[in-house]
Amino acid sequence: MRIRKETLWGWILVSPLALGLTIWVAFPLGVAVSMSLFKWNMISTPIFIGLQNYWFMLFGDHLFWQSLKVMLLFTITSVPLQMLLAFSAALLLNAKVKGVGVFRTIYYLPALIPTMVSTALWLFLYNPQYGLFNFLLDKLGLPTQRWLTDSSLVIMSLVIMSLWSVGNVVVIFLAGLQGIPKELEEACVIDGGNYWQRLKAVILPQMSPIIFYNLVMGIIGGLQTFTQPYIMTNGGPSNASLTYMLHLYKQAFNFSKMGYANALAVVLLLMTIAVSLLVFRSSKSWVYYEGERK
Amino acid sequence: MSARAKTKPGRALIYVALTLGAVFCLLPFAWQLRSSLMTMSEIFSYPPKAIPAEAQWRNYPEVFRIIPFGRYYGNTVILVAWNIIGVLFSNVAIAFALARLRFKGRKLLFALSIGTLMIPNSVTMIPTFIEWSWLGGLNTFLPLIVPSFFGNAFFIFLLVQFFRTIPFDYDEAALIDGASYPRIMVQIILPMARPIIAVMIIFTFLNTWNDFMGPLLYLNDSKLYTLALGLKSLLSSYNSYWHLLMAAAMLVVMPLVIVFFVGQKSFIAGLTMGGIKG
Amino acid sequence: MSRRAKLSVFAALLALGMAMGLSAENIKLTFMFWGSPAEQTAITKACKDFEAANPGINVEPLYAVYSGAEYDAKMKAMSESDTLPDCGYFASETIYSYASNNFFLDLSPYVKADNMEKDYLSQAWIRSGSKIIGAYTAAEAQVMYYNKDTLTKAGVPLPPTDYKKAWSWDQAVKYWTKLTVDTKGKHPGEAGFDPKHVACFGINHEVWFSMLYPRVWGNNGEIFSADGKDILIDKPETIKAIQQLADLRNKYMVMSSPGLTEYNSTGKTDPKVLLQNGQVAFYVSGAWELLDFAKMDFPLGVGALPISAKPAQLYLSGVNVVFQKTKHPAEAWKLQKWMMDPSKTTDLYSGGLWMPTKKSWYENKADLAKWLDNPAHPKGFKEAVVDSMAVARNEPLNIKNSNQIISEFINPELDKVWQGKDTAENAMKRAAAAIRKSGLLEGLWQ
Repeated sequence: MRIRKETLWGWILVSPLALGLTIWVAFPLGVAVSMSLFKWNMISTPIFIGLQNYWFMLFGDHLFWQSLKVMLLFTITSVPLQMLLAFSAALLLNAKVKGVGVFRTIYYLPALIPTMVSTALWLFLYNPQYGLFNFLLDKLGLPTQRWLTDSSLVIMSLVIMSLWSVGNVVVIFLAGLQGIPKELEEACVIDGGNYWQRLKAVILPQMSPIIFYNLVMGIIGGLQTFTQPYIMTNGGPSNASLTYMLHLYKQAFNFSKMGYANALAVVLLLMTIAVSLLVFRSSKSWVYYEGERK
Repeated sequence: MSARAKTKPGRALIYVALTLGAVFCLLPFAWQLRSSLMTMSEIFSYPPKAIPAEAQWRNYPEVFRIIPFGRYYGNTVILVAWNIIGVLFSNVAIAFALARLRFKGRKLLFALSIGTLMIPNSVTMIPTFIEWSWLGGLNTFLPLIVPSFFGNAFFIFLLVQFFRTIPFDYDEAALIDGASYPRIMVQIILPMARPIIAVMIIFTFLNTWNDFMGPLLYLNDSKLYTLALGLKSLLSSYNSYWHLLMAAAMLVVMPLVIVFFVGQKSFIAGLTMGGIKG
Repeated sequence: MSRRAKLSVFAALLALGMAMGLSAENIKLTFMFWGSPAEQTAITKACKDFEAANPGINVEPLYAVYSGAEYDAKMKAMSESDTLPDCGYFASETIYSYASNNFFLDLSPYVKADNMEKDYLSQAWIRSGSKIIGAYTAAEAQVMYYNKDTLTKAGVPLPPTDYKKAWSWDQAVKYWTKLTVDTKGKHPGEAGFDPKHVACFGINHEVWFSMLYPRVWGNNGEIFSADGKDILIDKPETIKAIQQLADLRNKYMVMSSPGLTEYNSTGKTDPKVLLQNGQVAFYVSGAWELLDFAKMDFPLGVGALPISAKPAQLYLSGVNVVFQKTKHPAEAWKLQKWMMDPSKTTDLYSGGLWMPTKKSWYENKADLAKWLDNPAHPKGFKEAVVDSMAVARNEPLNIKNSNQIISEFINPELDKVWQGKDTAENAMKRAAAAIRKSGLLEGLWQ
């Protein structure tokens, strides 16, 4: 009787989730996957072409590999830097000093600005003639840069900008730091450990699940980078900032190749799952879980 | 560093580092503020100016004159409110069931829900739109509100992680006293989750406030437009009106800053309880 | 959530429902469009005026705050869900692919019945075979603007306004060099000129793709062959036109970094403001910029476009269409006709946003005065721009995959030319070879 009631309530309470997954995930995903087998511009009848879209992706589309390269380059540079910066910031913000609440708000501020506004703002900051950065460089006697119009620099410029809005990552790290049991740190202090030893012996192992979480989320975000290059460079110059998602978007909405865009999306999903699994497997060797949690 | 920084030099160092970071965070924002108070031509003066010769406060009322900012504000607030309600209702119940009730399929459901975090938005965008046209929800707020009543993977994850850490003795005792499951959820578990609720409110607030693609796709009637769309109209057609665009951006951001500043403490406490572990 | 907010949602839904209910009595049309808030005001007013003049028809203007690919995404979503408007704007670059799927009402019987064809510029109609699938909303052309004060101070003569007697390109470059000055007063070519600290540039020339056409045509160059089956960007004339533009920055240093071909217009430094500030002396862009210039306070001048081999001009604009699925084709046409009549939406023309598509507004003195006789249109605009429409050619729209060819193959190579990393000749030859290999040159839309 008790079990039955528990099952019943369980199903009642999760039914919205089950329904939501069906309506807003399973069905659209199914449509996307099946559309990837068609030639379809959304305004005419779809024509079934089997795996031709995938064939074209690998052997016909010269921008597929370029966009893949840009995506990986961006992810590989931005995610570690984001992690490092956000973690250091979180350590600082966790210090018990006066006015730290104000600092926390300040550090989170960039994450509060709508992407549309912040990208426009950064476009302005990067302006070679009238922007803030070249103004500062010039004042310091350093050579000014063509931040977004130089194909060898554009990814770096986008990475710098992404570092600015890591507020969400900082906050999650900060929360993790506050969750570390005081006894552990105090024990280490009593043992005579200095700060670095404490960091290595207590903080990092304790934080490893959170680092893992942020890493996975960061990678997923990195692989899906879209809005910044879309608004700021539209993939240029010379496709140097054409991320995978931007390529996908252009195929779908600029060139009406909806079937092909869906094939790109399916491949992106598979890549994301593969990378996540990879990180997940590696995590067994470095992520520390408390004994009682199984 | 949760242990008190004991030495004076140590503390000074922390302040120096904190300030450096703060400058990096604030500089673009300060640039936005100064631009919002300049005249059109001042913004592009060469060499660039750091401070406007005379603060142009009238840029702010001007924003309200050229686009119906007030109405966009109102619409956005309505959407935010409904989304918060939806998020609170659905996720607490779902997470409670997933974390504290034993029934078949819960592990699978949880895994599937986490898996949705990996799906790029643009993959499901068009099919979802078509669904809404079947349901007759186009050009209404429904597509922008209803999904929040069906659970959100990130929030479910946070809540489940937290609910699992609460000892089961509470439930057992309550059950023996004859309490029903919904009652356990509302009277015992929910009050303990208060800080996580704050997190959910802030994230929902932010996401809804800044959402652009959703309103773009689903709303046709400009009477229903949101702030993000209003900003976009300034962005795309008022190239030379940087001062107004920046003022509008300030107006959009300010409520978020206030919400965050007020909720900052419980926000971070909430994430701690969620303890994104394992 | 407050009770009031709930009520207002309810009220909004109710109002919507009522609006739908009303349509049973009146014919209701929807008109979708994009544009600046100023354009929104004008179009909304035009719809209201139309309603007043045509009792029994209600028009609901649907204002989109986005254009280009975002507008197209919306169109596709609407067509998928069968919720397209009755009529409205349409992005010209995709119109033929939609037309080939029978999206638009053939307007030719209506145009014939109303005997309208000869009253409008021949470029204004969008044809597909014997059908007329739409009409340009307006006429737009390329214009060379300048700030009189800047020229006077530098002792440079004002450019001619007659489009047939304009400066030669080399002459123009000479004057632009004279106008370009660094913070220490040096000009390009002089010893010690510092290109990183330029107080005023001679010229800012837009280089997004459509803006290249007048230069290319004026050099006797072409982009596509007429049948759409070949690409001509590697023709020496075309290469020359592109190199001319790149040289402005990289050789003569009279133009600030030209930006990128693929840049969205969103959020860049605005040359109009630079022109006003005296930080740029000349600016080549579209005629629509007059609308914004009208709100600025400086002596704006308009000159004829510099000539290379022959005078050239571009005709471009958004398009107005009636959708095939409309339930009220006759009424939708009525609205379309209304929108095409400059006397109904005069503000948009006199304000500087549009140039009319109706012939008499180019020929008849009284009609010309209606849109040109105002502070928004500088003296000389008629000779330099309006008259030049006689040689204006439409952007080629009916070439299959032209969007993709330009975006994926030509623009990335152009970026290298603008950056000075390669010559126009190398870049265009490379691009042309890749395009021919891509299989995207599939000819014309029918």
